[in-house]
Amino acid sequence: MIESILLVDDEDLFHLVFEDACSLLDISLSLKSMNSADEAEKLFKKWFNENSPEKSECVFVDLNIIGSSFDGIELIRKINFEYGNHVVIGIISSSDEPTEQTKALQAGAQFWIIKSDNIEPRLEEFKKDYEGYKKRTAPFKVYR
Amino acid sequence: MIKVDKKTKEQLINLLESKNIALEGNIVKLFDPDGDPDFEKYLKACSEKDKESRKKRLEITRQVQQQNKELKELNGENERIMNELKTTLDDVEQSKLTYEVQNRELNEWKLDNIRLTEELKVEMVKSEQARLEAEQAKTTALNDLDLLQKKTQTELIGTIVKVALLVILSVGLITTGLYVTAMFTGKDTQIIGSTWSNMFGILLTNAFSIIGTIMGVKYASEKKEE
Repeated sequence: MIESILLVDDEDLFHLVFEDACSLLDISLSLKSMNSADEAEKLFKKWFNENSPEKSECVFVDLNIIGSSFDGIELIRKINFEYGNHVVIGIISSSDEPTEQTKALQAGAQFWIIKSDNIEPRLEEFKKDYEGYKKRTAPFKVYR
Repeated sequence: MIKVDKKTKEQLINLLESKNIALEGNIVKLFDPDGDPDFEKYLKACSEKDKESRKKRLEITRQVQQQNKELKELNGENERIMNELKTTLDDVEQSKLTYEVQNRELNEWKLDNIRLTEELKVEMVKSEQARLEAEQAKTTALNDLDLLQKKTQTELIGTIVKVALLVILSVGLITTGLYVTAMFTGKDTQIIGSTWSNMFGILLTNAFSIIGTIMGVKYASEKKEE
């Protein structure tokens, strides 16, 4: 089970869906949700400066976060290369664009989950692969 | 993992049985039953209850998500229709403005037309007056010409009459003088007498002929005028 998850997504209703799905699938006990990439960046900066143990173990980032000054791929790049290395991080988005997926991979994303009405099967599959992501042995994967 | 004493376990189990109040959320997963089958059963019941309520919430949230999606689509469609309506209204407004400009131009043309028609009417009246004046002048000129012709004719006739009368009177007087001289001088008057008589007859006849001719010409001229 993942210790703590951070979800960055502008859609508040998806926060509820994601939380319930994670709870039902026993993916994580602790889930923190944010709806702005800027706020998430600030949080990671704080954790990085304070070397905080609260730092989330896994981060799910939406691709297009409305109301933020940068998108999910840029947030992943910042987290990976500036503030929060060694977290498992990837995109959760309704988009399935190969060019965006390539960009995400270059920014250090480890997975890409396609958001849809029934997300549980993908999260279940992700749960199985999680240890590989944690050990950095699993390749980049798109969950369709 | 969290461990609780026997009394707390019993209180929690009683609370569930009597009031259907159970522990909820992920905290249930953190309790250790510590080999107590009743408490293990309790935790399982709490977990099942929590899962059921989460499933319900998930279902409702999905329905709300779907409704939100549909509302967004409807909103998009509404915005599209509103934009189309706005475009149509703008077009109508533009057409109205064009129509107003055309109408104004037509009104100006109409006013110009009315003005030109009025001017044309005035010009026509003037033209008619000029035509009447010209006809009047022509009639006057024709009358003057006729009068002049008549005057000339009359003068000519008068001259002819005068000359003719003068010739007749002269011939008559000369012949008569010769005849009277011959009578008073005792000369033979036979020839001169018959000559005077013939001459006088001829002159008289010619005089009447001239008068007749003049009267005839005059009568013919009057008839032609009628």
